[in-house]
Amino acid sequence: MRRDRGRKPKKKICSFCVDKVEAVDYKQYEKLKRFVTERGKVLPRRISGNCAGHQRQLTKAIKKARIMALLPFSME
Amino acid sequence: MEKYEIMLIISPELEKEEHEEVLGGLTSEIEKGNGSVDIILDWRRRRLAYEINKLQEGHYYLVYFTAQGSIIPELEHYFKVTDSIMRYMIVRATEQEFAAAIEKAEREAAKAREESEKKAAEEIANTETEVEETAEVESDAVQESSTTVEVEADEAQDDLAEEITKTEETEEMLKDEPVNEDK
Ligand SMILES: [Zn+2]
Repeated sequence: MRRDRGRKPKKKICSFCVDKVEAVDYKQYEKLKRFVTERGKVLPRRISGNCAGHQRQLTKAIKKARIMALLPFSME
Repeated sequence: MEKYEIMLIISPELEKEEHEEVLGGLTSEIEKGNGSVDIILDWRRRRLAYEINKLQEGHYYLVYFTAQGSIIPELEHYFKVTDSIMRYMIVRATEQEFAAAIEKAEREAAKAREESEKKAAEEIANTETEVEETAEVESDAVQESSTTVEVEADEAQDDLAEEITKTEETEEMLKDEPVNEDK
């Protein structure tokens, strides 16, 4: 997430596509943390730049990671 | 026969032997159902993202096994009646994930062995007496402190590991839907 916010980003790149990730793994929760806000919510696609397929996998992976207390549930 | 991965959180308050007992119990459940355990990875003690049963930490294990799908309810039952299991997650795993896990375990074992040999050698250099005993203690310590067994499943993974099951408790938590999709 090196892209600066506020400004219109030049390009949206799905980092999972870049890394050629076939399936998002919930065990790699350190990586998943990048896609979660401070409040524990999943970053929307328009901010993360993920493609729809990887975003769907990511959401599932985050849910599993939450169940296993690897990531917090959203705080509210 | 299918391949599965179980992640377990066992109470960190228990002794190592008790962890072995729980894992041994799971192994025999799997074997009773004509399945077999391929490998168990110690994912070590980790800080929990939120408290479970008033505990801040949990000891994580990853169990890779091959069995028929019909075994899953039996295993769930075992998890539910075993109080020291704080949480579990069973997912389908791929051949590649299995291979990666086994490779990881071998690498870890080799590393631990190497380090304990090094420590042992140092011990010999430092002390002339009770070398054997110290080496043994040191090798334990090395095992505890060596790098985290992080299963890098993205190294090799084909299809998405399907979520098979979750505890009732967690089912409820799942309703807590994240806000994510674009409008
Ligand atoms: Zn993608």
